[in-house]
This record gives sequence, structure tokens and C-alpha cells, in this order.
Amino acid sequence: MTDELLVVRAQLGERAALAELVARWRVPVWTYVRRMLDAERADDVTQEIWLAVVRGLPRLREPGAFAPWLFTIARRSVTERLRGEYARAWEEPATDEAVTEDAVEAMVDRAALVSLLSGLPAPEREILVLFYLEDLSVEECARICRIPAGTVKSRLNRARRLLREHLEEKGYRP
Amino acid sequence: MTEEPNLSARELIEQLTPALSRRRRVQAVAALVAGLAGAVFAATLWWSEPGPLPGRTHLAFAVLTAFCLAWTGYGGWLLTRRVPLFATDRVVAAWLGLAASVTTTAGLAAVAVQRGTGLAPTLAVGGLFVAAALALAVRAHHRRAELLRRMHELTRADPASSD
Repeated sequence: MTDELLVVRAQLGERAALAELVARWRVPVWTYVRRMLDAERADDVTQEIWLAVVRGLPRLREPGAFAPWLFTIARRSVTERLRGEYARAWEEPATDEAVTEDAVEAMVDRAALVSLLSGLPAPEREILVLFYLEDLSVEECARICRIPAGTVKSRLNRARRLLREHLEEKGYRP
Repeated sequence: MTEEPNLSARELIEQLTPALSRRRRVQAVAALVAGLAGAVFAATLWWSEPGPLPGRTHLAFAVLTAFCLAWTGYGGWLLTRRVPLFATDRVVAAWLGLAASVTTTAGLAAVAVQRGTGLAPTLAVGGLFVAAALALAVRAHHRRAELLRRMHELTRADPASSD
């Protein structure tokens, strides 16, 4: 069953559809939260996100765009906890550069990526989690983070460069 | 990546159950509908009272109206911020609102006829509320029908999902 159908059924008031939706997205939401926050806060914030999702679900106008909507809510909760980190991040200009493939992907599998993420600034960490771990598109990342697609791409490139530097510091070589 | 969430899906659903309980939804709708109907009833009686009123009566009407408005605000806050009202719930809530509007208008009209004054303004105010409740009912039915239509389309496109 597609997410859209589950959302529509849940919006009609079907509890089983809502339960299925929660079961399906429980781990991806938690993964995003856990990569952005420490373990102590991750569970509390995840519950807070799901409560906001349940309360807001009747007002969701595009059931087909459930994932970006869900991560927008998740991001709001995470951002509140990371206000300080986001405030320190600078505003980079929006450029329309392509997301370039580089040696990072060849060197790093998902597990290694996860362990390296904690060393990155919040905006770069967030974009890597959404793009690589949650498999969301550049457009969906832009919608969730409320930034232009060009900024997503430049932030991704910067994040990959930072990752490469971290890897090289640890002795990895492409 | 071996780390996993501490809460299972079932535990997470259980944590969400209070927000989804039918009792809370009924309480929220009842607070809004009864509060609004009571506020309109008290305010209309106060406003259409023939002859000068003593200070204490004014105070009593003001307190009663404020009390009902407080319940209206509480119900509205619950429904917009705390309690999710799904499409089918909205249809039921809209009909409850319509029934309350008609009953309040009929009650006020009966009082106005008994007093022999103020029938026209009472009917005008009551009519406004009935029209608003009717518009909400139509909107709720429309939204539910739209979702049902979409559900059938999606189910037809993916027959495996119908079980």
C-alpha cells in the first residue's frame, strides 16, 4: 500500500492506517533525529514529532507529499533543540551547481558515514542525513529545509568536502 | 548502524492514543459548540431584555457570557492545537454545530415571541449562526467525499492494497 493511500485512509479517520503509517516511518524519523541529536534527547523528540504529525495530519493538503511534510515537522523539533548550532552557521549563497560525485562515496559506506556525521556542523549534517540516509531528493530536501535547491546542492558539496577532510585526517585515502 | 529506537511501533502508538481518543474529541467539540451556543443565548437575552436592568443582573449576564466564551475559546484551542479531527469526525462535529445553532435559535425565538419584542434581530443572529454551521457541514462533507474519491482511485490503481 502506498504512503498516499495510507495518509488518505488515516485522514478519513482509519486508526489502522495511521498505525501502519507510524510503523512504516518510525525508524526513518528516529534515524534523522538521532543523527542530529544525542541519544538522550532522540526518543523524547521523536515522540514530540509524532504527536505533532498526528495533530496536523487532518490538515495535510497533499497526501502524496507525506515524506517532505513529515521531515519538515521533524526538522522543526530538531531545530528548536539546535537553535545555537544553527545560529552559528553562516548563510551561504545559493548557487546552482550540480551535486558532484566524488571519492567520498567510494570510501564511505552508510555505517561509516553515520559515525563521521557527529563531527559536522548542524546544517551540513542535516542535509547529508536527509539526502543520503533518508534517500530524499534535492527538491524534497529544499522543501524540508526551506532553502533553494541550489543551496541544498552547495551545502551537500560542502558537507562532502568536510567529510573528505575528516576521512583524510583519520588516515583514509581515495 | 546497529542503534535502534527504544520505543517499538506498538509502544509509540500507545503513547499517541490519548491524543486520538474519541472521548477527547467529543469533549473538545462539546466545549466549543455548547460554549458558543450558551454565549449567544446569554448575550441575546441580555441585549434584548425589555426595560432597564439592575446592576447585579447586568453583572450576572456579563459573567455568564464570559464563562461561555471561555469554554468556546477552550474548545477552539483544543480543536486547532491539541485534538486531531479527522474527516469523518468533522462531518459529525459540523452536524452537532448545526443542531446546536438551530436549537439555540428556536429557543431564543420562543423567548422573543413570549416577550413580544426582538424577534427580528434574534432570527437574524440565529440565522447567521445556522448559515455558518451549514457552510461548515457542507465543507466537511465535501472534504470527506474528496478523500473517499481519492482513496477509491488509489485502491483501483493498486488492487493489492484493498485487503
